[in-house]
Amino acid sequence: MTKALLCPCEDVTVTEVDHCIAQGYRDIESIKRFTGFGTGMCQGKQCMNAVARHLASSAQPPKPEALLAFTPRPPFVPTEMRQWASLDVSQLAPGGGVPPALGFTEAALKPVAPVKPKAKVVIIGGGIMGLALAWNLTQRGETDVVVLEKGYLCAGASGRNGGGVRMQWGTPSLIHLARRSIDLMERFARDMKINVWLRRGGYLFLAKSDAIVQRLERSAALHNQHGVPTQLLTADGAQEHVPDLSLTGVKAAAWNPKDGVIFPWAFLWGYAQACQKVGVAVETFTKVVGFELGQGRITKVLTDRGEIACDQVVLAAGAWSPSVASLCGVDLPNEPHRHEICSTEPLKPFLGPLVSVLDSGLYFSQSMRGEIVGGMGDPKEPAGMNLGSTSRFLARYSRALLELSPRLGQVKILRQWAGPYDVTPDNSPILGRTKGLSNLLHLHGFVGHGFMMAPAVAERMAAWMATGQSDELFERFELSRFAEGRLEREDMIIG
Amino acid sequence: MAGAMPRRLRPPEQPITLEVDGHTIHAQDGEPVAVALVAADETLTARSIKYHRPRGPSCFSGACSNCLMRVDGVPNVATCQVPARQGMRVERQNAFPDAKLDVLQATDWVFPKWFNHHTFLAGVPLAEDLLLKIARKLAGLGLLPDRAAPPLPVATVTREPIVIVGAGAAGLAAARCFEAARAPYLVLEKGSAAGGRLLTAAEDGLPPVFDCPPAKLALDSTVVGLFADDGVPYLVVKHGEQLRVIVFDQLLLANGGHPPFAVFENNDLPGIYAARAVSGLLRRHRVLVGDVVACVGDLSEARALASLLTGAGAKAVAVGQTPLKAHGFSRVEALTVRDGPRTAKVDCDAVALCGPPSPAFELGRAAGGKVSWEPKSQLFVLEADAAGRTAASNVWAAGELRGAMSAAAAAEQGLVAAESILAARRSAP
Repeated sequence: MTKALLCPCEDVTVTEVDHCIAQGYRDIESIKRFTGFGTGMCQGKQCMNAVARHLASSAQPPKPEALLAFTPRPPFVPTEMRQWASLDVSQLAPGGGVPPALGFTEAALKPVAPVKPKAKVVIIGGGIMGLALAWNLTQRGETDVVVLEKGYLCAGASGRNGGGVRMQWGTPSLIHLARRSIDLMERFARDMKINVWLRRGGYLFLAKSDAIVQRLERSAALHNQHGVPTQLLTADGAQEHVPDLSLTGVKAAAWNPKDGVIFPWAFLWGYAQACQKVGVAVETFTKVVGFELGQGRITKVLTDRGEIACDQVVLAAGAWSPSVASLCGVDLPNEPHRHEICSTEPLKPFLGPLVSVLDSGLYFSQSMRGEIVGGMGDPKEPAGMNLGSTSRFLARYSRALLELSPRLGQVKILRQWAGPYDVTPDNSPILGRTKGLSNLLHLHGFVGHGFMMAPAVAERMAAWMATGQSDELFERFELSRFAEGRLEREDMIIG
Repeated sequence: MAGAMPRRLRPPEQPITLEVDGHTIHAQDGEPVAVALVAADETLTARSIKYHRPRGPSCFSGACSNCLMRVDGVPNVATCQVPARQGMRVERQNAFPDAKLDVLQATDWVFPKWFNHHTFLAGVPLAEDLLLKIARKLAGLGLLPDRAAPPLPVATVTREPIVIVGAGAAGLAAARCFEAARAPYLVLEKGSAAGGRLLTAAEDGLPPVFDCPPAKLALDSTVVGLFADDGVPYLVVKHGEQLRVIVFDQLLLANGGHPPFAVFENNDLPGIYAARAVSGLLRRHRVLVGDVVACVGDLSEARALASLLTGAGAKAVAVGQTPLKAHGFSRVEALTVRDGPRTAKVDCDAVALCGPPSPAFELGRAAGGKVSWEPKSQLFVLEADAAGRTAASNVWAAGELRGAMSAAAAAEQGLVAAESILAARRSAP
């Protein structure tokens, strides 16, 4: 059949890119995500210029300075995992990273028109938290909402996570939220008419030490109490779910077949499009630069595209929340922590579950496109906002993964990137009101698992905001708990 | 009309055989596998990921996915980058029952324009579950490797005062300057010989290849990344199957660009090549891609290529014209082109796309260099000042990485950048 290809690796045609532009995704980072161009084996070498040329010759061409190449992701040539594993990790320091600065807030992409001057609710952060909340507010009749996003949709952690969704948590609150979220995710395509590719391949947590075995035992008992069918398995039992892996040294495993992996970006596009249809303003490439305060309230949110007078402000900026909060004098205890992640070349399906080794923080799964997507936390990673990529990560990750799966030795890594975990002192979120600033609400602090919690949390928060009825969630996780010493410790954090 | 003339203009000096999907083909020992495939007229090497469209080698630069095959049990190998060895087992991937007649190409007809993966069957009960199962089955390109490969020795870490990436026109001109100044340097070249386009292009007025001393030239050395884990930048280089880490004082990026790619209907058919792939196959391997080659795009390059091809006994058509549509079932058989106000359909069995490469700015960007869109040439280029300095400290750039230019101009930039590096070294404390 006759087709003109802009990206042969991923079979992206000119018609598809034109459709994407017509949907409003006009910058190259967004086009890459919406169409998948540049994510194949050539890593953008063949297609990037072609897409830029196509944009430059479109009906509404961007200014030359707004034609920005997407950030090239190392490695720049597909490179085998056994090669990365050959780097001497002890010589590679933690911290650092390339490229030196990530440019997803380029001024050249900022829309010219001012933002609307007044809104009932201003939500800061156009990640899944903010967008899910905006959509849930519209379902309760509130459409006078502005969502402010400093980059493109998916620029933040919602666009940088591995897409794992699980019910296996360590506290009843998070177990219930996750269960509800996964139910909502299952319905999402029906409600929003966009595929999210939820594949319930299960989550397999592996334990290599007695301490971790005990943790799995404790949490499995809690899961069963709360209706999650987690089973404890021996290494042999675990092997049945991952016949291609080598489980030497594994003492026990926890398995929930109802957990799975999802395509995260579709949630942002789905929520954003549904919000825009009913009049919510989703303002991308728009930065909050300050607040106007009066009588213990925020009266205006100041942006680089004008001021918005408002009744309520919701802070949903993930790991960027502390820096935004500081603009209105609120001191948050959250700290950003970089977590790196990478993706391999696409392989035919061989791996069902998402596998995680709790001892090391290694996790990986096979995406619907066939890539092995995974990451591993680094205990030596210093706190701070850093989205650079390191060779240290590739070396540590490849070593850990090849122990479990030696046949991946000659499988090539295609790209790596990083996202910020929004880490709180007790690994639990910050929700609800602010003492001393009555109309600033919090929706952040999810420590790398906000994506999978968002649909359920946003549903509860919209109900709480719209009805004014109390909800224990927004008291239990209030910011004031840190000052009052009421911590809510969660220990099922991976990555 | 394909195959009227032999593709290989001289018999292999060290003949070997490869096994391609069980069939034996002849090759020259050490030439890239994809060269052997084209020489054997096996131009269908792959099926595309979604629509299972036929694909064949096209860029000969490791910058596309059209020649990815399973080689000796390893999936997704760029056969244009892998030297052929006796008995190598080469297999086509992602097809059923086989790549030459792949029934999964039905998807190309079911979705004649494109497949909207966002909305197709979204939220349709039962159908969406089925879609998920089918999509999962069809996903991916190659199968998991046959076996666990042995681990590699620990990568070496060395320090080199000046590192040049790329032994093309710009890189070699810089090397010559450093050699004359007795400055310490190392050139990293991803290919098996120094020269870059000096060896492959059809361009007129190519400068001679500087005979870089072997100790200063690392061949088969591809820079896969520039990292700065501890804040100090270093290169990670793939040499053969091993990695090595190279720390540098000054870095000169002279790694050129990725082959040009033109957008027209059926621009992915086997038999459509980057111009330097066509001239390189002829100049380096004495392999002719076709009897009748449409040399489209940039006029001066097309003319030079046409004269090279004609000299080898082939016919050049549509010289310098604009391609609109390629015709053919599993390889290109004709091309519709625009020539001024007229369009014409010309018979051909290969197409060469002439035009400037897309600057390979990845390393420069990783180092902190600035990449910008140049409206005139319609290219993303790595910015550098007149002396070749980029926005990244201790990183210079020269040649096609900075935009379209002749080999002579690239050599001039390489020389200027080398002098600037020498000056910087003299003034360093």
